[in-house]
Amino acid sequence: MFDRLRDFITKIKPNFVEGGKFAWLQSTFEAFETFAFTPNTVTKRGSHVRDAVDMKRAMITVVIALLPALLFGMWNTGYQTSLTAEWWPYEQGSAASWWYCLWFGFLRMLPLIVVSYVVGLGIEFMFAQIRHHEVNEGYLVTGLIIPMIVPVTTPLWQLALAVAFAVVLGKEVFGGSGMNFLNPALVARAFLFFSYPTHMSGDSVWIAADLWGSDAIAGATPLGELAAGTMPTASALDMLIGTISGSTCETSVIAILLGAVVLLVSGIASWRTMLAVMLGGGAMGLLFNLIGANTYMQLPFYYHYLIGGFMFGAVFMATDPVTSAQTNTGKWIYGVLIGLFAVLLRVVNPAYPEGMMLSILLMNSFAPLIDHCVVASNIRRRAKRAARKEVRI
Amino acid sequence: MIKIKKGLDLPIAGAAERRITYARDIGFYAVRPTDYVGLVPRLLVAEGDRVSAGDALLCDKNDERVRFVAPVSGVVKAVVRGEKRKLLAVVVERREWENEEGKKNEHIPVFDRPSKEGTAATANSQFSILNSQFLKESMLQQGLWPMLRQRPYGTVANPDDTPKAIVVSCFDSAPLAPDYDFALQGREQDLCKGLETLALLGAGCLYMCFRPGQRLAGVVGQYTPLHRDDAKVVFVEGPHPAGNVGTQIAQLCPINKGETVWTMTPQDVAVLGHWVKTGEYCPERVIAVAGPQAKNPQYYRIMAGACVERIVRSQLMNPDYPAFKMADESLKQVRVVSGNVLSGEQIAPDGFIGAYDSLLTLLPEGDYYDFMGWLLPGLNKYSFSRTFVSGFMQLLRKAKLINDDVIDYKFDTNMHGGVRPLVFTGDMERVFPFDIYPLQLLKACIVGDVELMEKLGIYEVEPEDYALCEFIDPSKTEMQAVIREALEKLRKEAM
Repeated sequence: MFDRLRDFITKIKPNFVEGGKFAWLQSTFEAFETFAFTPNTVTKRGSHVRDAVDMKRAMITVVIALLPALLFGMWNTGYQTSLTAEWWPYEQGSAASWWYCLWFGFLRMLPLIVVSYVVGLGIEFMFAQIRHHEVNEGYLVTGLIIPMIVPVTTPLWQLALAVAFAVVLGKEVFGGSGMNFLNPALVARAFLFFSYPTHMSGDSVWIAADLWGSDAIAGATPLGELAAGTMPTASALDMLIGTISGSTCETSVIAILLGAVVLLVSGIASWRTMLAVMLGGGAMGLLFNLIGANTYMQLPFYYHYLIGGFMFGAVFMATDPVTSAQTNTGKWIYGVLIGLFAVLLRVVNPAYPEGMMLSILLMNSFAPLIDHCVVASNIRRRAKRAARKEVRI
Repeated sequence: MIKIKKGLDLPIAGAAERRITYARDIGFYAVRPTDYVGLVPRLLVAEGDRVSAGDALLCDKNDERVRFVAPVSGVVKAVVRGEKRKLLAVVVERREWENEEGKKNEHIPVFDRPSKEGTAATANSQFSILNSQFLKESMLQQGLWPMLRQRPYGTVANPDDTPKAIVVSCFDSAPLAPDYDFALQGREQDLCKGLETLALLGAGCLYMCFRPGQRLAGVVGQYTPLHRDDAKVVFVEGPHPAGNVGTQIAQLCPINKGETVWTMTPQDVAVLGHWVKTGEYCPERVIAVAGPQAKNPQYYRIMAGACVERIVRSQLMNPDYPAFKMADESLKQVRVVSGNVLSGEQIAPDGFIGAYDSLLTLLPEGDYYDFMGWLLPGLNKYSFSRTFVSGFMQLLRKAKLINDDVIDYKFDTNMHGGVRPLVFTGDMERVFPFDIYPLQLLKACIVGDVELMEKLGIYEVEPEDYALCEFIDPSKTEMQAVIREALEKLRKEAM
């Protein structure tokens, strides 16, 4: 069957190359062709053998890492509705209800995911065609992350706008994946946050009221409660497992940590960045504990890991290799500062309940400066060595 | 003892067995100007000329003292030119006429051939009166000089330079590399003599690098003429590229702007030593023939520049089929690499081995489509990352839970993906044992920022130092080509 598919692709290929009938679809065709078959190109210059990993494999590994959080997020979307919705058809706690939670969440999430991919990939394919490039796989990850970090009731047209904004202005204007300096998923999130604040924050956006539509059931998130000056009502265990309200897939620390294991074992994401973010956030939380001036400052420091998007940001967004610092030393500095600023913004500026998004975006823009300083020290060391002109053994 | 921690050993099948065949029936030999970086050759012979081993075929247009000589005696069979009449090779067909009295050794004015019984003593006393200038001139005259290469740029050493050190890496850590302990068996004294000659040549220190426990290290260590302050035996431990001379230079005597370090391969050192001892130019070389496609991987004793066709055909032969017919078919599916799979050069199956190479690798071509290759578990796919199931098998192997040979990795010339912008960071650093930021230097080279390249240490690297980075790169960037172009740009600006 594969052979027949291959033969078919080979047969229709001439239509899609320069001068063919559908030359304007070349990038799209190539994207689908290489999706089905890793191409048969062989090495010409340099290393004759190459590592089996390519951009597709690397990106799909990140998508796999996102799956636990995604599945849990779907279930939790249903679960949150089941807690309060009067129309919920099954008895709380029954197996049928458990499965219906997942199904409900799936149906709520599906349109978000579809809109994100269709709009985002559409723009990507267009730009690739105009540039005569191959379609880059980066959006496979971005397009999945965006629906995972918005409230479930986000209107689809707002999501579509945000995605378009993020892909065009966050990425393509700089030259596409690998050239952007801001994490596109966070650009989309920030766009939504600042353009439609009523849909993005407050107490009545997090829990879907029904199978469709943007109506929501009121229900405070821990972050919202803390910003209002009270301790979160959910227990630490609930927050660890993730059975709380919040952005669709950010709530479960356990599911996110499963993803972190995939990323770290496969070597796709930097453990330095992840660890540094945790250390930075923890340090800032401890510092506030010492001051202890209000409820938020008295919050045990490890609660910062459990609430809001801290964990999701640390694992999946701070580690974005394109927008993070690129040197190993730089990654430590970058990560620690993200953690520090995230907690600082949360506690000191309650106007922005979630500091993680802004903190990562802020450090995205400083990452090149951090790298510059790190590399400059290497340059200085080399210059000094040249000045010494000594041979050491 | 230097410990290299960063690096990677590729588990490619087909290492050469310790067995030597003397390939004396090879008829054609070539000197290829393209083996020498930046060489502008001047042809000194014409087709049909009779030449002896050691007769000059070419010289460097920019420095006519640097001559490239025939490895064997015979007749100039062909002068091969490519586009724009670029000289590609001068091919010599071996003939036996050179045994006429008086023809041999006519070009060796330096040393009288010492008598058999007094070899060591005579040569040593000669050394005491030699000065480095005299030695240089003799090496230039005899055509031994191109064996010395310099860093930066990787060109043939400039005889007017004074290097700050000479570094000889006496082991090769590359995939399927020959074991010099075996390849130089019987030529240990030539090697020692050659090293002694190099010590006399440079103003700087001579570093001789070995793996811990290498047999040759013991031989060289006991050779008393090398017991001098400016000759040091260094042990280097670790995965590839521990054996790359660039890695060793970075540890021992990193190159600053304006400095040069000279290097020579151990086989060439032995040729040099043999010449000093006997006055005979005999560019003998024991090469390993290895790789997944080699039916009978082993060592061959050849002369420099030998045509590899007979060796390749015999390696591809299937005993059940008529030899040459079968080989003709298999030739299309095999890539012949002169050198190692990471930084070697592709040559035609009837091509000639590279001037500095001691390894011939036979790889399967990877001209195939892989259905959903990016999604399937990938049991036999080799990756430095652990994005394939095979990565976990490697973990098991490291933990000694399974044997080495449980996984049969498939190594071929497939790119395994399309070219993309540089997205991932931090991996290159894991296989790049230099005090250099590899990604930043690479980017400086891509944009051609000369000042930044210099600041970031471009003079310390050669393309081969980037080979592992290129191998593991998910973006499939052609890093070695980028580095070579950058170095050539700098070299031309410096000229």
